[in-house]
Amino acid sequence: MKRPIEIAAAGTMLTALVTGLVVPPDAVQGDVQRIMYVHVPSAWLAYLAFGVTLIASLAHLRTRDLRWDRRAGASAEIGVVFTGLALATGMLWGKPVWGVWWTWDARLVLTAAMFFVYLAYLALRRTTDDPVIRGKRSAVFGIVAALQIPVVHFSVVWWRSLHQPPTILRPGEPQIDPPLLFALLMAVAAFTVLYVALLRRRVELAGAEDALLTTVRIEEPVAGSAVVGPQPRGEGA
Amino acid sequence: MRRYRWFVVAALGLVAVLTGFLVANIGQDLVYYQTPSDVLADAGRVGAGRFRLGGQVVPGSIVDDGASVTFDVTDGQATVNVAHQGAPQQLFREGIGVVVEGTWDGVIFHSDSMIIKHDEQYRTEDGGVYTPDSRYPSP
Repeated sequence: MKRPIEIAAAGTMLTALVTGLVVPPDAVQGDVQRIMYVHVPSAWLAYLAFGVTLIASLAHLRTRDLRWDRRAGASAEIGVVFTGLALATGMLWGKPVWGVWWTWDARLVLTAAMFFVYLAYLALRRTTDDPVIRGKRSAVFGIVAALQIPVVHFSVVWWRSLHQPPTILRPGEPQIDPPLLFALLMAVAAFTVLYVALLRRRVELAGAEDALLTTVRIEEPVAGSAVVGPQPRGEGA
Repeated sequence: MRRYRWFVVAALGLVAVLTGFLVANIGQDLVYYQTPSDVLADAGRVGAGRFRLGGQVVPGSIVDDGASVTFDVTDGQATVNVAHQGAPQQLFREGIGVVVEGTWDGVIFHSDSMIIKHDEQYRTEDGGVYTPDSRYPSP
């Protein structure tokens, strides 16, 4: 069961991969710089996914429609995966360029904090069986948690940090040569299509899970129901 | 919900206190490094323990004697002389951003830990031509 969006995701990912491998490398860093084509789109997807969680949470509180709650939860799951990928690729990149896997830099610490906060969000969603209660609780959490997203993004601008400030999302010209910029934008586009494909699958699955939870089970014979235990006899028999 | 009211109040109070501690104590630590201007302006830093110094390596200032490297770090306004013990990082070269950690005696910054700070610029070789030799120019 392949859908157009999934075929598109596979196609754009493949194109982005080839583009990222054939464009010339950065003059200072060499081939290590190609990690950028995974690291930057992963971080972008994290922001996008948690932003969608915020919007879906607001929509759920307004409409009380459980479909919005399922979209919020599905998006947060994808966001956590890509936040983890951004952290992992950041470490792999940091070691050869900075010289350290990890350091207590504001951007790094805040990204890790965002990772754990949304893990807590996912844990909170599993604290009840009742989709209505789950929806209300997680919507409030999903809105409050989103407050940290701009702080994570602007941490490199507000405080002097080891992590570089934005290369593209900055006032003025992007500080990157056209072939590298092209490869980066291809990767961002491919990851975004992948996000849409993943979100649709996960939302469907969440709908099926909720349907299973709320279905009223009718009394139907199960294996072993024909076996009858010893019955008490009448008084004084 | 009534049962949980005091629990919620207590939890919010705890979070508020912890946030207060965090904001009160994090102040300077949100800044990853000090600039040469900060260091020269603050006499209290002389001999006052370890901190991080960041800036650009001044071209022509690198002297490598094998066991240690000395160079100047600048932020455009002020310059501090650094003596670094141990091998420099792979990308260490003239003009690159660097964050060193160590102590300041008022004349020389004695560093034993170096991190390269790569800026936000990504450039190909001239004309987009890439030759393996051009990747790691020697410092």
